[in-house]
Amino acid sequence: MNSPFPKSSSADGKGCIVVRRLPSGVSGLETFEYQYPLKLVTPKRPPQTSALVYLLSYGGGLVGGDQVNLTIEVKTGARLSLATQGHTKIFKSASPDIVTRQTMRVNIATNAAICLLPDPVQPFAHSVYEQIQIFRLAHNASLCLLDWVTEGRTALGEHWSFVKWVGRNEVWRMADDQATQDRLLVRDVAILDSKSVHPHLPALRESMNGLSIFGTLILRGPLMKSVGEFFLAEFGALPRLGARDWRNDDAKDSKESDDRLSPLDKWRAERLQGEKDSKVLWSAASVRGCVVVKFGAPTVEAGRLWIGSMLTQEGSIAHNFGEQALMCLRW
Amino acid sequence: MIDSAKLNGRNGNEIEDEIADLERRLAEAKAKRSHSHPPLTKPLSSTLTSPTHFLLLLSDSALPLGSFAFSSGLESYLAHQKVIFRQPSSFASFLPLSISSYASTTLPFVLAAHRDPSLASLTALDDALDAAIVCTVGRRASVAQGRALLSIWERSFAGALTERGGGGVDGTEALRGFAALLRTTSTSTSTPALTNGTTTTTTTNTTKPPPNDDPPPPPPVSAHLAPLFGAISALAGLGLEQTAYVFMLGHVKALVSAAVRAGMFGPYQAQKTLASGAVQGLVAAVVEREWATAVEEAGQGVPVMDLWVGRHEVLYSRIFNS
Repeated sequence: MNSPFPKSSSADGKGCIVVRRLPSGVSGLETFEYQYPLKLVTPKRPPQTSALVYLLSYGGGLVGGDQVNLTIEVKTGARLSLATQGHTKIFKSASPDIVTRQTMRVNIATNAAICLLPDPVQPFAHSVYEQIQIFRLAHNASLCLLDWVTEGRTALGEHWSFVKWVGRNEVWRMADDQATQDRLLVRDVAILDSKSVHPHLPALRESMNGLSIFGTLILRGPLMKSVGEFFLAEFGALPRLGARDWRNDDAKDSKESDDRLSPLDKWRAERLQGEKDSKVLWSAASVRGCVVVKFGAPTVEAGRLWIGSMLTQEGSIAHNFGEQALMCLRW
Repeated sequence: MIDSAKLNGRNGNEIEDEIADLERRLAEAKAKRSHSHPPLTKPLSSTLTSPTHFLLLLSDSALPLGSFAFSSGLESYLAHQKVIFRQPSSFASFLPLSISSYASTTLPFVLAAHRDPSLASLTALDDALDAAIVCTVGRRASVAQGRALLSIWERSFAGALTERGGGGVDGTEALRGFAALLRTTSTSTSTPALTNGTTTTTTTNTTKPPPNDDPPPPPPVSAHLAPLFGAISALAGLGLEQTAYVFMLGHVKALVSAAVRAGMFGPYQAQKTLASGAVQGLVAAVVEREWATAVEEAGQGVPVMDLWVGRHEVLYSRIFNS
């Protein structure tokens, strides 16, 4: 694997999932291994459309210095959904040089797909966390990846009070043959560091400009084509900031115009009002054959509501992976 | 007459003495000067070397990169604070965030290209940066300025630099190769990345893939500003630290200039900001912070900046391209 990162010497929290497509067409788990502090759970009766694995940890979170290394292989034509049960809590580190780390390396074969829609990561005050997720996609493989982080335990007054949070997501296009090399398609890195190198730089909390949650959604492949285009189209259809509604009040209130709206238009109008009221900011871009969506909201629930509403309305994730794939986005 | 001759004679001796005295003092003064100062030689060749000349050119705001067209999220920040958050906005709070964000995302690419301006390195850095700017507006700004800088090098700098033998043949060849690679890329794509930001454009002479098939791989090079700035600065003889400083200061100058044109303040306040110890300190601090950052580890330190820059497209009225 063409990766710039040194292999971790720690054997802690190793896990391995291999999914293959059974002759019946159902995706089944061929390998399913894990060790402390990583815990993997799969339902006895998985959905027909996709294998389903919950990524858990003992105690519901990672203690300072915990290392989790998960390797996933989705074989040709198979599908895997990954979810969590509640926020991934990152507990405090005893000192800033003790890094809690999760590494996930995923290979997705031709016509295979993975859908990773977990709950957000919740780094507590004084935590030090690094998350590296590397996805290698063969030809016509599909990926849906949501990576989101909250400000911490808001109820306890935590607002981005951790020491450091680094999230790195890489999407690679697997080489077609031995002669060529893997090609990097997207490398999205967020570095939230409480250490300020100059007194004029605002503290991390101020630099987040009132956001309580920040997320990135990366979509790629044939199974994500429709949902990717949906995000791009909705972004293009956003009302212009600073534009004025020149219609008179009668026209704005008229029932007639409401009745003529399609269900999609109605949903959009409601969603836009919600975005405005709860100050959800988002953008979408087409980058090297992937669609990258970024969003932020002043409350965790507003962020969850927004992304859940978008993916539910579009519908292809639920159709291709089963309703369970979206369970972490329910509100 | 005798008196006058006497006078002359006496005076003549005195004058001779005086001349001798003056000459001795002149010699002493000259000796002193030669001890305290280096001997005067041609001033231009000793203080204004060729790298300094190119330093001044690359830091000149008249360098036609088109930087004036971009506000790096400032315009969008102002609109969002006003319309959505109804909060006061200020350049003083935006500037440090922008400097920090721009440095953490792009400066490692400038430094890496300066350290190794070979064609293989330049191509790899350009490709890695293209994968890392996950925002249409940001890509447009970076590529537009990168292509402009490459044109300036090709049409204006290359000749002069080759004449004085600067940068070495390898560096020049690397940039020539890069420019050639870019031309083959641009001609094979139906729409240049400049206009719509998408790099998933189809090549003209390949058969159309099935609608649900993977798009073709991205073009080999896009010509982003940061790696090209590093490589061209290296060729022009600028030091690594100088290059980083000029690159970051260029960003600050573009922002300040955008603020003036957005009506935030006037030209004196602009110069005051540029001259301030705060700007000097910030630029120096971020250069130091990113000095050893590997390009794989470069990333966004101010996530909300991605939202501001990305949402520039949803502004109703715009005077800038970013």
